[in-house]
Amino acid sequence: MTRDPLLVGQPTDAALADTLLGTTWRARGWGWGVAFAISGGLTALLAVCVTYTVTTGVGVWGNMIPVAWAFGIINFVWWIGIGHAGTFISAILYLFEQRWRTSINRFAEGMTLFAVMQAALFPLLHLGRPWFAYWLFPYPSQMEVWPQVKSALPWDAAAVSTYFTVSLLFWYLGLLPDLASLRDHAPTRRRRILYGLFALGWNGKASTWRHYRAAYLLLAGLATPLVVSVHSIVSSDFAIGLTPGWHSTIFPPFFVAGAIFSGFAMVLTLIIPTRAVFGLQHIITERHLDGCAKLTLVTGLVVFYGYLVEFFLAWYSGSPFELSQFFGARPFGPSAFVFWTMLACNVLVPQLFWSRRARRSVWLLFAASLLINVGMWSERFVIIVLSLQREFLPSMWAAYAPTWVDLGILSGTIGFFSLLFLLFLRFLPFVSVAEMKELRHELAGEGNHG
Amino acid sequence: MARAILAEFASPEALAAAIRRLRGDAHARLEAYVPYPAPEVEEALDRPRSRLPLVVFAAGATAAVLAYGLQWLLVAHLYPIDVGGRPPHFPLAFVIITFEMTVLFASLTAVAGVLVLGRLVRLTDEVQGTDGFESATGDRFWLEVSPRDAGLDEPATRATLAELGALRVVGAGETGGAP
Repeated sequence: MTRDPLLVGQPTDAALADTLLGTTWRARGWGWGVAFAISGGLTALLAVCVTYTVTTGVGVWGNMIPVAWAFGIINFVWWIGIGHAGTFISAILYLFEQRWRTSINRFAEGMTLFAVMQAALFPLLHLGRPWFAYWLFPYPSQMEVWPQVKSALPWDAAAVSTYFTVSLLFWYLGLLPDLASLRDHAPTRRRRILYGLFALGWNGKASTWRHYRAAYLLLAGLATPLVVSVHSIVSSDFAIGLTPGWHSTIFPPFFVAGAIFSGFAMVLTLIIPTRAVFGLQHIITERHLDGCAKLTLVTGLVVFYGYLVEFFLAWYSGSPFELSQFFGARPFGPSAFVFWTMLACNVLVPQLFWSRRARRSVWLLFAASLLINVGMWSERFVIIVLSLQREFLPSMWAAYAPTWVDLGILSGTIGFFSLLFLLFLRFLPFVSVAEMKELRHELAGEGNHG
Repeated sequence: MARAILAEFASPEALAAAIRRLRGDAHARLEAYVPYPAPEVEEALDRPRSRLPLVVFAAGATAAVLAYGLQWLLVAHLYPIDVGGRPPHFPLAFVIITFEMTVLFASLTAVAGVLVLGRLVRLTDEVQGTDGFESATGDRFWLEVSPRDAGLDEPATRATLAELGALRVVGAGETGGAP
């Protein structure tokens, strides 16, 4: 079977560098400006809603008893899940020597960083008094009270801060050779100085590359367990609780699969417009879209399996509370439409990707990826809100509704994420140029381009 | 004072051939500057493997011990409280933060290791600013013969490099001259 090329045509190193570094200095058209204005507006909305929340209190959110966890945690889990595909692409696909990762890893790592930043905002705000967030870290004080590591909250703090730091290190280490290249090739002196400062004096010495490659491989190895551990730890927040619908051993693998699933959907959502706007169809080829779509399908099937097991376990347990949660509250209770949206988006939509034609149709992929993003947000809503609405006693039952502040913060983080992403596209090479040259060299050595 | 000689080559293959030839001529102190790590250049230089992984392992192991120890100190020793009937020293609950801190400090060490071993975090060095050297991060492959190289005889080495197909041969830090 012939495969599509990883790199269309036979660009020289100079041409590759010019195309990929040039995104930082070429005129960007009006599309970028419009997108920037919209995300800037939404970021302002985020600032307003966060200020209102912090100055007034979390009472301005829709949270109540029994739904004490709502949008804050839904958004946290959604955003941090999105980050997972970036780490999957940059670490796991690197270890497996999947060469198609090269054109998209920098991009996906950027997505991870910005998504984790949004995620970290929510537990912080949910504290109610975010200025005491540092109590989560062990520091000597006259209070003589220490963080309780038998609770899941310090686990989250450790997992998320490690995840962010390691993702940042991985991303920055990968950027060094390209920053040096920008220092040497950017058109204006000001840019050269600025990129030169961030390049830390990188000069491409072979002995430095030797350590660099060792470190890169180590970071890939160290980040790999993070892909699995971060969302497993997040899922423990739920699984160690007794709420019907949460107390299940399926949660860690189910959450990890869902995270990678939503992350690949987000990679597609971002990469399809980007490659069109910057004209990079020969570098981010149909083969890359095809690869992302296949992984979306695989992880989507794992998620579907997770749903089946959840329902099976509820039925098999014989517990009336579990039965009423899964066979009453979710399909027919308040906000049941979110449950049906989840099934439609996460189970039906990915089935499209069995078809090779669908995996190569840019518009279809883009629409499907948006629907999966919606579906995965709905899944977290179902797990959190639909479970809490229907706990053990009918006297505890209630129906949840978000406030405008909840909706404002959710759309605000989407705006802030896009804002950071647009700045990244504008000021940094979002495809790793050094790695592309290396790939080109390897492909040329094999005498083919596939 | 003697200075390093730099030679620019068009391809990693040409650079690797030049390195092998010079090594054959008893040049011991050679260095390459390349835009990406080409396997043939690494092979020709024949350097030992990086020892960074050992340092990273040591850092990770130390972090693991310290993280576990700190958790024991805080939760089992200084401030023991009963959570769900679990004993104050409860290894299962300590595993997660121990793991996270191992990964965190190992990763920090890996990156710091590259910066220290590669002598990075500096504004410039002896080779930056040499005529045409900016192509070392573009699409050219540079060879450096160190001034401390025993086999270095500037005119002869320059002639050999030119004969090996160098696109240009310059002294480190040389500016303004014709290629």
